Amino acid sequence: MSVELSRPGVVLNASGLSAGYEGRAIVSDITIEAQPGHVVSVVGPNGSGKSTLLKSLVGVVRVLEGHVTVDGKEITNQTPEHVATLGVGYVPQIDDVFPPLSVKENLEIGGYLLKRGDVASRVEAVLAFFPKLSAMLARRAGKLSGGERKMLAMGRVLMLSPSVLILDEPTANLAPLVATQLLEEYVRGFADAGATVLIVEQRAKAALRISDWTYVLGGGRVVLSGPPKELEQNPVFVDSFLGGGTRR
Amino acid sequence: MSLTGFEFYATTILIYGAVDAMACLGLNMQFGVAGISNFGFIIFQAAGAYAAAVLSLPPAATSNGGFQSYILGWNLPWPLPWIGAALAGGLVALPFVFLVGKRLRGDFAAIGLLVSAVLLNLLVTNYVPLFNGDAGLSIVPSPLQNIFNAQGVGYQFAYSGVAIALTIGIYFLLRRITESPYGRSLRAMRDNDIVADSLGKDLRSQRTGMLVLGGMIAGLSGGILVGFITLWAPAAWGYAETIVLFAAVIIGGAGNHKGAILGAILVPLGFEEVTRFLPSIGSPAFIPAMEWVLIGLLIITFLWFRPQGVIPEKRRILSHASGSVTVAAPPPDFDVTTDSPAEIDASGRDDSSDQLGDGPLESPGSTASTVTTVHENGPSSESSHDVILATRGLTKSFNSVTVVSEVDISITRGRLTGLIGPNGAGKSTTLALLAGTLKPSGGQIIYDGNDITSLASYRRARAGLVRTFQLANEFKRLTVLENLVCAMPRQPGDSFFGSLRGRRYWGAAERTNIERAEATLEQFGLSAHADTYAGQLSGGQRRLVEIMRALLAEPTVLLLDEPMAGVHPNLARRIGNHLTDLCANGMTIVMVEHELAIMDEFCNPVVVMAEGRVLAEGTMAELRTKSEVVEAYLVG
Amino acid sequence: MSVFMPSFGFGLISAAVLAIAAVGFTMQFAVTNVLNLAYGSIMINSAFVTYWVNRTGVSVWLALFVGVACGAVVSWCLNRFIYTPFQRRNPAAITVVIVSLGVDLIGTFGLQAIISGSDVSYIMSQGRELHILGMDLSVVELIIFAICAVVLVSVRLLLKFSRLGKAMRATAANRSLARNSGVKTDLIVSLTWLISGALCGLAGTVFAIDAGTFGATSAELYVVLILAAVFLGGPGEPYGAMLGALTIGLATEISAAYLTSDYKEVVAFLVLLGMLAFRPFGLFGSEKTS
Repeated sequence: MSVELSRPGVVLNASGLSAGYEGRAIVSDITIEAQPGHVVSVVGPNGSGKSTLLKSLVGVVRVLEGHVTVDGKEITNQTPEHVATLGVGYVPQIDDVFPPLSVKENLEIGGYLLKRGDVASRVEAVLAFFPKLSAMLARRAGKLSGGERKMLAMGRVLMLSPSVLILDEPTANLAPLVATQLLEEYVRGFADAGATVLIVEQRAKAALRISDWTYVLGGGRVVLSGPPKELEQNPVFVDSFLGGGTRR
Repeated sequence: MSLTGFEFYATTILIYGAVDAMACLGLNMQFGVAGISNFGFIIFQAAGAYAAAVLSLPPAATSNGGFQSYILGWNLPWPLPWIGAALAGGLVALPFVFLVGKRLRGDFAAIGLLVSAVLLNLLVTNYVPLFNGDAGLSIVPSPLQNIFNAQGVGYQFAYSGVAIALTIGIYFLLRRITESPYGRSLRAMRDNDIVADSLGKDLRSQRTGMLVLGGMIAGLSGGILVGFITLWAPAAWGYAETIVLFAAVIIGGAGNHKGAILGAILVPLGFEEVTRFLPSIGSPAFIPAMEWVLIGLLIITFLWFRPQGVIPEKRRILSHASGSVTVAAPPPDFDVTTDSPAEIDASGRDDSSDQLGDGPLESPGSTASTVTTVHENGPSSESSHDVILATRGLTKSFNSVTVVSEVDISITRGRLTGLIGPNGAGKSTTLALLAGTLKPSGGQIIYDGNDITSLASYRRARAGLVRTFQLANEFKRLTVLENLVCAMPRQPGDSFFGSLRGRRYWGAAERTNIERAEATLEQFGLSAHADTYAGQLSGGQRRLVEIMRALLAEPTVLLLDEPMAGVHPNLARRIGNHLTDLCANGMTIVMVEHELAIMDEFCNPVVVMAEGRVLAEGTMAELRTKSEVVEAYLVG
Repeated sequence: MSVFMPSFGFGLISAAVLAIAAVGFTMQFAVTNVLNLAYGSIMINSAFVTYWVNRTGVSVWLALFVGVACGAVVSWCLNRFIYTPFQRRNPAAITVVIVSLGVDLIGTFGLQAIISGSDVSYIMSQGRELHILGMDLSVVELIIFAICAVVLVSVRLLLKFSRLGKAMRATAANRSLARNSGVKTDLIVSLTWLISGALCGLAGTVFAIDAGTFGATSAELYVVLILAAVFLGGPGEPYGAMLGALTIGLATEISAAYLTSDYKEVVAFLVLLGMLAFRPFGLFGSEKTS
């Protein structure tokens, strides 16, 4: 684990956040916080607003009410390109790479804000972290497999040495083993190296395993939150989210 | 006796007006009603004009010492040249069907038609033996000029009278088609062709019909014009003339035939006449050039400020507003007061739990009334474990990325089968392959004992295999009631020729269909919105419209793609109950859904997919005990 | 000696002009998904701007830069004030095409109204005739060819190796993700329209030089040749457009030599229709998965 991949984390905070499209809130009154060195996960059923929440943090979806801060600095409704300059890296769930660009070019775009001379060495550093990508630098990103593609997407974000990493369902469409490796090795690894990690996951139990704190979303609001250990014991959590055998 | 200046002017205006109006009506039918952006429309008018000319001209060798060369020269008496003109317009349209097939995106097809117009003009200009090349045809005989004096006042007014009468006739013909069930299908295709296809509308046939009909009308207008002006040359039908007609239709009001006529009067005719009275400014080329500039400005201005035109398309009210709605409306099955995604509340609200306690109000018998049970064995199909839909080795790849891989599933008749799996597992793709929205890269699909792998999707829909879509897919500019009635099969008026036979032919069936659709609306609690444009509903209401629409298509197998997404949990439960009832009455349903609670409650069996493959199948309780499922999905 | 090599020479020059135009057109489609049918009218307007400067006594090769600047500025304005506002409303794709036709009418006939319809020529020398490999080429034609070569190599270098070029390709491929990577995509789109507009202006001027005499409606059908080249290579693919232009340029001139020059564009039109009907994503392009 190369420690210098990400910068020391900073606090990401959202308070009283409502956000949505065309003036209609999809998520309402959300207050969450992520600390450096922690993995904070957001779980919840499909349609509960998890992705919208993440998008509103990085300026893709409009914030209607409330505030988002990074390291105490207000970033509410800043443009996505400005948020990127503040050390916040965001990996969307789909459309997470530039398909017609080569692997190398994808990484270079990830390092768009770096000084010209620093890009090549930074690409090397990221490739050292994802050695599998080194063998396919010239390949078009659109031709990668699901796992390779997600590695590239994360690699692109790491190019700017983010202090806050925001990941939207990174394991979607991945084989179970790859997914587990991705979460436990890489995602947990970023936090252990000091970064702040906020992750949305649909594999709820897997997310809980690597998290320091978990928020459960339902209907666009935070319905539960707490350390994973506590949540797992909470019957409301199991029932509302996993739809498990406790009902009836 | 010759024409005075005013009489000449009046007849010219009347005839040009009729010809322009006719052309605009034909274009409006294609563009405004059926959504075909025919940028080559002028081709068809030209075809008609040339056809009428060479049919009425004497053989080329004998005419005036043979100074012009052309084909045919049959010297036919009126009205044969005009009939020939209409036929030529229709025939010329046929080769263009391949451009407006369902696969090419609309603007690309439009470019293709535009280029065709340029190409044909170039060919006709340069190939002299066909229609005398660049110089064009002149001294084309006027109709019946050997009997009447073609320069006489009476003749000229009679000519304009016939032209106007034909225009009026075409207006009523087009209105008859547009206001019929077939017209509704055309408008559905305009609003969303993929969905129309999934409901059994044959896009290719509908588009062919409209290309040919519009082509015939354009051809006739060309025939009438050439009989009056007695000459026709390539300069008369540059591709830009089509833009003028588009401008007319957009300004008048696309989708409304009255608007098309108004547009014809305002733009091609109005421009010509207004500029006639302008004092000459600058060079002779100045005013004609400024006319074009003004047309360009008008197109952009209207598209920005008033895209619906001066006379917008009118809303069709189908409901019996006063009649069938009972005063003390019974509580509907479905409560849609809380339907927007923002209002979903997983923790449950007190008042809505009360509603949950009411349970389903309708008995299975009455729900069955919305569905024609195709299968003889009826409600007790639970006992017959026959497979109605199966796949073998079903595979789909996009650009060498395999999304669905070697899938074998068997769907049992009368069951509500669930399809679950992580995002990107290939569930929606599988559904699209079953419905024919996508073509498989490999494997087979067997439906009711027949291999339907290569069957077109609209044919599958007609055979009872109906799907819904994950994203809202209503026909926006059709009312809710129109959306529902549109989907119903076996409408006598839902064919070109059926629509021509008029309301007397299809009216009775239409009334029955509307009543059935209204009953369904009432059941789902949406009666109040019967005549609202579907595009104006909220997200949850649109989902209901889509489910109702699919049910009214009388499916044998219903394929639902996340029908509960964005729907209030209590409402979702009611929908689930309703679907269960339908299955008890013989329908087969396959449902993709994320919410496992829904699966638990309603679906048996449940198929689990991951990474494009089928992982396991069984009840949810069984699936939870299987480690590979737990690994892939429930736990990760 | 056959007519092949001379017509091959003509074909190369036509292809050179067409390639400049097609690359600009396809770049506009790539970043904004607009089939800008007003492209031909901006070309010819730029050619006239060059002409007006040329009339004051400035050499056409210097006046050309003013024409290029005109193409760049007008194209940028067109995107900024017309296409972008329309696209914000999420209209059907055909709406923007109709708008571009409207712009084309305004551009072409507005010019027509100003210049009162007569055809004009630049004041310039055609230079010596040279015989190279059986081709008869004038010095001016060689200069056109050289300009094209420089432009295409520059575009290639820009897109492949420069930071700006990569950002342009990234913006075309996935605008939202480009923004998340810190790319100011609004700026990149503006720059793309400036660069492609400059290519449009350049293409207009060299087209006029190559044509000899030209009028307001001279480029009216040229956009069809551009479309043929662009669709042959796959819309939105700059290298494809270059290859498409070469094919179309050579095919039109060589067929003109063997058939008759009246029909020389027919080949291009048929190629375009064939591509639209059977492979709308180009010979090398592939269908998008969505």
